[in-house]
Amino acid sequence: MKIEILYPQLCCLYGDKGNTLFLQKCLPQAEFVFTQLNDKPRFLTEDVDLCCMYSMSEQSQELVLSRMRQWQAEIRRSMDSGKTFFLLLGNSMELFGQYIQREDGSKVEALDVFPTYAVRQAPKRFNSLLQAQFRDMTLLGYTSRFSHTYGISTEMAFSRVTVGTGSEPNSKLEGIYGNRVIGTYLLGPLLVANPDFSKWLLTHQLGEESPALPFEDALYQSYRVRLAEFQNPQLVLE
Amino acid sequence: MASLRYHLAVIAAKCSAKLIRMLGRNASHNPGVVALKICPKILSIAPKAPLVICVTGTNGKTTVSNLLTDALLADGRKVVSNRTGSNIVPGCTTNLINSLNWMGKCRVDAAVYEVDERASRLILPYLKPDYLVVTNLFRDSLKRNAHPDYIFSVINTYCPDTTKLILNADELCSSMLRPNNERVFFGIGKQPGDLTESINIVSDYALCPQCGTPLVYDYLRYHHIGHAHCPACDFHSQDAQYLAANVDAKNKVLTMNVQGNQADFPLISDILFNIYNEVTVITTLLEIGIPVAQVQALVAKIQVPDSRLNQVSAGGVTVVQAMSKGQSCISSCRTFDYVSSQPGKKAIILSMDDAYDRKQSIEYVGWIYDVDYEFLTRDGVEQVIATGPRCYDHKVRLLLAGVPEEKISCAQDEMSGVDLVQTDKIDAVYILYDTSTYMLSCQMKEKLLKKLEGTK
Repeated sequence: MKIEILYPQLCCLYGDKGNTLFLQKCLPQAEFVFTQLNDKPRFLTEDVDLCCMYSMSEQSQELVLSRMRQWQAEIRRSMDSGKTFFLLLGNSMELFGQYIQREDGSKVEALDVFPTYAVRQAPKRFNSLLQAQFRDMTLLGYTSRFSHTYGISTEMAFSRVTVGTGSEPNSKLEGIYGNRVIGTYLLGPLLVANPDFSKWLLTHQLGEESPALPFEDALYQSYRVRLAEFQNPQLVLE
Repeated sequence: MASLRYHLAVIAAKCSAKLIRMLGRNASHNPGVVALKICPKILSIAPKAPLVICVTGTNGKTTVSNLLTDALLADGRKVVSNRTGSNIVPGCTTNLINSLNWMGKCRVDAAVYEVDERASRLILPYLKPDYLVVTNLFRDSLKRNAHPDYIFSVINTYCPDTTKLILNADELCSSMLRPNNERVFFGIGKQPGDLTESINIVSDYALCPQCGTPLVYDYLRYHHIGHAHCPACDFHSQDAQYLAANVDAKNKVLTMNVQGNQADFPLISDILFNIYNEVTVITTLLEIGIPVAQVQALVAKIQVPDSRLNQVSAGGVTVVQAMSKGQSCISSCRTFDYVSSQPGKKAIILSMDDAYDRKQSIEYVGWIYDVDYEFLTRDGVEQVIATGPRCYDHKVRLLLAGVPEEKISCAQDEMSGVDLVQTDKIDAVYILYDTSTYMLSCQMKEKLLKKLEGTK
């Protein structure tokens, strides 16, 4: 099994590297490739089972796009083929929409894989705890960002938010779930924090048969405590 | 009208300061609030001190501001600083008010402002400092500061053109600030024990800002602090005009290259981040025109307040309180590294969970995956006790870092965590606390000392 981590020097804010650490413990036999900024993504040239991209600064978004745009058509073809599963966390999801609108109204052309667009609003920071339903799983996490993503339809939404706000204000739809792609504003160690989701990913997307997660008891204990705390009706989300 | 408002604001703020002090409280914030309410433009219209120095950055700004203020006072100057107050707009406004007399005229020789890096956009354009000292820019709280690129853009946008910057050549982010301003750089030259590869999880600025090629570090200290060059283009870290060439911890001497000449200064601390703080202060004092011999004498008179570490002993066990700022991965990494490398067998109590978030929220602890919990696998760490509402999250992080499960204990209530310390096996207990849990850590220490006294 091959797992590609895209641009780890830039796309690694907010504890995102915890996902890579966790995957390495879950899949000790897997080969992990860490693609550098000036290199062509491996999923375009070889078989990659899982491709992960994590949160980055707004400056890094534009830098990464300046490199990825040259392979835009190839990226779209590869993602359409469904050969690789993509896990896009935090604002990395925005790179695969149509464009990102800066605070001054100008636009950064994105990869146009999804019919979505993002609008930045710095210095206004949006921080919120999130609880969301994906299939029969309750995801717990956090979002912290300068932007919102618009244009996510019910059909393409990754999850429905039950505590907090979705990808845009006044929406309960969060993230993108396409042909073997998950994009979500949830950030940080999402896989560590959501053991059921990790099992689903390993089983249904990576073909692992009945995977046992490392330190499974500890993972679920931590998850259960957080889940109980989310039930507080007075919960302050920011 | 502006003038009337201004004078009213000064008088009202000074009156409120007197009143607050009479009530036995520290008038470091509210006088600024009062002044801003009456005259919102006071920061820009008030007369400035003949010398205005602002100090900002992620780590070290408080220490540098305090040392600078102490040195200037020792030099016989009349100085105000916001050392006892907040470093956002009201605190800086209070400092400004303190620099004025009742007539609204400047009454001091110099003003030192510690400025919160995010709030700098609301302060720097109006204060127009003569000097802006930036200690470094690292990751900090994601809620408040987002990421270093954002803080860089704030300072870079709002720092006035006329301000001279004093920057850290060994820190790539802040050293790229305001290239068209007048700038000088300080740094610490290559030292024995320096690395060339990062051992930290977080190592930002690993790529060349010009061409994106991975940088090569000629020397690296922690995270991205060091001196780098690009193997593919001409980019390299800035050369320091004020360079600590030799750090002699044994004889407590810091030898600096000062624009071509060598000079020895008393070394006031041998902890690396404090050496950076001292070099920053020496650079600033020299830059404002104080002669070398005078700076040498002033440095001999100042001390680093080490409020982040204190220790006592009981029953043959040393108990150490060490600050490990929550949400700040760099602060915690430095503390984890320091604590885990101390000699002897030790128990480490983690009590860094935010005291405010726990009241009605759930603290986001993703940042702990940016902290090198792997340091806690070192020999001599016999027990790690994760305490606080997020103790089970810390446990998972510890397990993933490779700390054996039998060495880990958990307690959601910090005080109960003290009961879990196995005092018979250890030489020292370290209580790692957040700024918000300092008082709690003091109570933990007291309970632990009683327990240790009882087992004597």
